[in-house]
Amino acid sequence: MLRYRETGELHKDFHGSMNAAVEYVGSRYGREGLREVFRNTAQKVYRSIYKKLKAGDWSELLEHWHYFMTREGADFSIAVTDTEAVMTVRRCPAVAHLRDLGMTPSVFFCDQTVLLNEAWCEGTPFEAVTETTGEGSCVQRIRLSRPLNGRDDERRNEGSHDSE
Amino acid sequence: MIPSDQFVRFYNEVFKFLDAQGGGALEDYYRAVSEQQERHCLALFKAEGLAGMKAYWDRIAVEENCDMTCTLHADRLEIVMRRCPSLGKAMDNDAGAFERYCDHCPGWILPLLAKAGCRCDYDIIDRTLPQCRLTICPNDPQRASRIRVSGL
Repeated sequence: MLRYRETGELHKDFHGSMNAAVEYVGSRYGREGLREVFRNTAQKVYRSIYKKLKAGDWSELLEHWHYFMTREGADFSIAVTDTEAVMTVRRCPAVAHLRDLGMTPSVFFCDQTVLLNEAWCEGTPFEAVTETTGEGSCVQRIRLSRPLNGRDDERRNEGSHDSE
Repeated sequence: MIPSDQFVRFYNEVFKFLDAQGGGALEDYYRAVSEQQERHCLALFKAEGLAGMKAYWDRIAVEENCDMTCTLHADRLEIVMRRCPSLGKAMDNDAGAFERYCDHCPGWILPLLAKAGCRCDYDIIDRTLPQCRLTICPNDPQRASRIRVSGL
């Protein structure tokens, strides 16, 4: 179950605000400044996702990915195996909206994905690997970096599902 | 990707981070946000004045799911926000709301309105309530924009 699950209209111009925010923080405080903000976002704002990941359960993260990428109109798919959850994004709605606004993505724009995923996996049995495959496309992997204990494995399997 | 629905919770973390840097870093950021917003609003505000401002905030009310009324009078635009989803989300947030979260709105709006030839009486009312009131008028050399927290 998602902690945050908005409905109603979307204000996609917030992707433009995000572009300006990461450019502002990244250009003045470096990637370490951005890392601090995204660590707080991943581990405090999205506390329930993070707590589950620490317990070996990726179910809320997968639900978050699926719900919001669908809501934003992304072209994406999610594939789940025993050891890895992979989201392939063929058309990122955030990058597409920046282009609609006539904006150029900041060099830090995709750090919202890279650093968020990394912070989600800190201190958990998982590791995050995000590969940018082009403008507005990427492959995000959350994979087991160490074996789960029995209880963690039970929790994770309860929550996992295939999605396309 | 941070969903657009949840940008404001990230924004809230940016405010905390910049406030912790000190030296006016947060206020500098408000000015940068204001300059960024110029691309969305300034031409409209300059060309159509108060009516253009009403058009902008009427669109925002729909897209951001606000409970908000914009009333255009001959000499002023009055905006009454009864349910601000931005502060509402910052408060409905496991990380907690930045205590001066509301200040970012007048922080970007007032400089932009000044460039459009207007002043604003911005009443935050109470920083813990997702409500506020704005009265926007053409510039008057006798009266400056002001920000207050009336509590009423």
